[in-house]
Amino acid sequence: MRRTAAAVAVAGALLSGCATEEGESSTTSTGSVLPAAPAAGAGPGAIIPGAGTYIPPAVTQPPITTQNYPHTIQDTSAGPAVLSLYKQAQGARAAGHSDQAEALLERAVHIDGRNPFVWQALAGAHMDLGHSDQAESAAQKSTSLARGNPYVEAGNWRLIAAARQARGDSGGAVQAQARADDIARALAAN
Amino acid sequence: MARKKPRSGFFQSPLVRWLLIGLGLALSVGLLLFTLFLVKLDGDVRTRFAGVRWVLPAQVYAAPLEVYPGASLSLDQLRHELDRLGYRAGDELVGPGTYIVGKGSLRIDTRAFAFWDAAQPEQRVEVQADDKGIGGVRVMGSDQSLDLLRFDPMLIGSIYPSHSGEDRVLVKLSEVPPLLPQTLILVEDHNFYSHGGVSLRGIFRAAFANLRAGHTVQGASTLTQQLIKNLFLSNERTAKRKITEASMAILLERHVSKDEILEAYLNEVDLGQDGPRAVHGFGLASQYYFNKPLNELQPHEIAMLVAIVKGPSQYNPRRAVKLVTERRNLVLKMMADAGNITPDEYQEAVQKPLGVVSGSGGGAARYPAFVDLVRKQLAGLYQEADLTNEGLRIFTTLDPRVQEALENRISSDVPELEKSRRMVEGTLQGAGVVTSVEGGEVLAVVGGRDARYAGFNRAIDTRRPIGSLAKPFTYLTALEQPDKYNLQTPLDDSPIDLKLPNGQIWSPKNYDRQLHGEVPLYMALAKSYNLATVHLGLDVGIGKVKQTFAAAGFDDVPELPSAFLGAIDMSPLDVAQIYSTIASSGYLTPLLAIRAVLTKDGQPLNRYAFKLKHTLPEGPVYLTTWAMRKVIELGTAHWATSVLPAGQIYAGKTGTTEDLRDSWFSGFGSDRVAVIWVGRDDNKPTGFEGATGALRIWGKLMRDLNAKGIEPLPPADVEEVAVDPLSGLRADPGCGETVTVPFIRSAEPQQYAPCANASKSTPLNWIKSIFK
Repeated sequence: MRRTAAAVAVAGALLSGCATEEGESSTTSTGSVLPAAPAAGAGPGAIIPGAGTYIPPAVTQPPITTQNYPHTIQDTSAGPAVLSLYKQAQGARAAGHSDQAEALLERAVHIDGRNPFVWQALAGAHMDLGHSDQAESAAQKSTSLARGNPYVEAGNWRLIAAARQARGDSGGAVQAQARADDIARALAAN
Repeated sequence: MARKKPRSGFFQSPLVRWLLIGLGLALSVGLLLFTLFLVKLDGDVRTRFAGVRWVLPAQVYAAPLEVYPGASLSLDQLRHELDRLGYRAGDELVGPGTYIVGKGSLRIDTRAFAFWDAAQPEQRVEVQADDKGIGGVRVMGSDQSLDLLRFDPMLIGSIYPSHSGEDRVLVKLSEVPPLLPQTLILVEDHNFYSHGGVSLRGIFRAAFANLRAGHTVQGASTLTQQLIKNLFLSNERTAKRKITEASMAILLERHVSKDEILEAYLNEVDLGQDGPRAVHGFGLASQYYFNKPLNELQPHEIAMLVAIVKGPSQYNPRRAVKLVTERRNLVLKMMADAGNITPDEYQEAVQKPLGVVSGSGGGAARYPAFVDLVRKQLAGLYQEADLTNEGLRIFTTLDPRVQEALENRISSDVPELEKSRRMVEGTLQGAGVVTSVEGGEVLAVVGGRDARYAGFNRAIDTRRPIGSLAKPFTYLTALEQPDKYNLQTPLDDSPIDLKLPNGQIWSPKNYDRQLHGEVPLYMALAKSYNLATVHLGLDVGIGKVKQTFAAAGFDDVPELPSAFLGAIDMSPLDVAQIYSTIASSGYLTPLLAIRAVLTKDGQPLNRYAFKLKHTLPEGPVYLTTWAMRKVIELGTAHWATSVLPAGQIYAGKTGTTEDLRDSWFSGFGSDRVAVIWVGRDDNKPTGFEGATGALRIWGKLMRDLNAKGIEPLPPADVEEVAVDPLSGLRADPGCGETVTVPFIRSAEPQQYAPCANASKSTPLNWIKSIFK
């Protein structure tokens, strides 16, 4: 199951690589649609004579889809320089040198500021260093750049949960963890 | 017996006797006083020399050049960067800081450098180019290829004390190329290793030489005396000072080794004046005159530095080229005669020009406006004395390539604009700031049309009304209420009179003096309609708009309706701050010019990590950015499409203030934010709108920077809908012309436009079609 999903994701990444030069394309939906977050009600608009009525879809939040989203940074358009800095940073974090990891990841951002995996790793390094505010912001940034990639988002929500817990915001942490679990379940069900 | 011996009358005179006694007493007292003086001096010399703490100004570095496969950098551009770093091109790699130009590649011997995160060793590499830029980086003599190569950063200035201007780069004797002290001793103090502080031989030789020449050609001071004079004494030419100097020199030699004296001399000697900055020591002089570290100097360069020790203001290598060349060649001759260089080296060296870099000396003091910003940001973080004395190493975000592009644009385009309006030469000014979209790094700052002039910094210190640059923040505030506003919402562009708190009536006008009736919200921003904006602003309230400004990074907004039209005083840097928050999708990152600070020994002291905060909602920011894209696509900044690369999307806003006093443009792509201001120091009208002045510079700048366009990927809470431009309602294939407009999800138009097939099936349309 997992292998299939990964194969689909890789194929999708290749396809999107052909379609656009950088970033992930969301125009092709080769993946399956996963259960979505609950919908918010849409109020009726004013009626103009001569105009047809549009029935809004039941879903107002984008569905969680696997589409062609990259699983890891290797599947993205990141070049060898960014990949190398990312790997060095992960190594530094593992060795307990998160301040060094932070500096390496900032260099990666300097080269390519829009890779969600780099921002996620930066959030992780901030968290290691006890900067929970920064960790949450960087994780949010990663989510913004991930454009719906559930693999990245799940990790970000886990980081946000940890950051909120560290700040003593248990309620917020529970919410973030619930969101992470939702995505994880959706991915597992796929 | 002797007393009884008959004497000449002279000595028997009581007067003479008293005189002799007095003389003897005076001599004894004098000797005693001189001894006391020497004892005191000895103590002085010891404590003062031991207590010599070099004034070690903080050294400021640019961001290092990073070269990696895929980097959009041509070999020519890379060569330009290497030249800027003081690397020398040649036929072979003779040490760090040299390179060879090959076919389709450069072979480079890089300099070692201790960065914050790692020490980088010297490396010999080959950089290959492909059609996109850098193709690959290979370590020479191995199969190893590098993913990333970081060059030593450029030294761009120092934070020296303002009262003395004393600046230096400390060197250790062990790290200095031996030819330098050899030559120095040869020329300035031949017997340095044998004399005891003063040299009688030297004095005689100098006196003889001076007599023969008829004027002073040689000084007799030893290096020790010169050092004493420079360190402790004034410049006056009195016998007393000379005696003190000689005494102290002798005493110093009793306590301190020759090498210590030599090292102190190398760091203390005055080697030039750069405006308010005094260039002390060979370490800094090497950077100042040759833009490279001391250990890379060649014999003719060492000879020149030693030549100017005699008097750096008279022997100024940038002014008295002939005089300095003559003396340098004299020094080279002495070096050859002493066997310190070979006859071949001598022949080669005397042929060479001085090789002094132009301007204010390589990197140092080359970017005054940027270093000014660094200084201001540091002032809030460190004590002044720590900055001027501790030799801190400051790593900044300055990107010399971006800085060069900005300087070139402003220095060439501002005079051109000035000419086009037949203004008096030198009256039009310009300033600019470029930052990164992510990370809030200040990449370039230019404070005036003469970028090298270290004066008034218009990029930071001038606060001028920003005019229509303020408008996006009012629109953003409105778009944050998706139930009330979207990009299609019709705005009322009709006259309005407002009573101000001071009782005056304010009646804003459109720039074109026309009324446009009802205009879609995005069009009102694209065309910069004042009346529609004031109506919108009054509707959402100045308090809310002020909050939006604060969330973007600026909180000094007056609570007056004129603020909707930009009666807000801001510097270009302030503008860069608020625009970068929009450019990065609503994440506020305080703009910072400093990345890390190390101690003089290279130990990490502080690092300034990216600090970001999500302050503005992403969806409305996306919508606002979409409207700002229209400013360029079809609005007031349409001119920019004539210079920007086709197919790339940028967003921005023009700004013009009353009577055309200030011309602004601020805009961004996906990696760069750039702000340009054009105006006059006396605040008189310039005749330029934002679109005819600043925009011209901005457009070409973004092109020169190769700035990446925006990726138009909407965030999760935004849906793009095809709408009929006439009604602003949903379109489908039944409509001829449609525009795709982003809406906040759940607030997209609910109805189909009359042109849509979905509408045509209604009874009304069916009837209409019958009667057509």
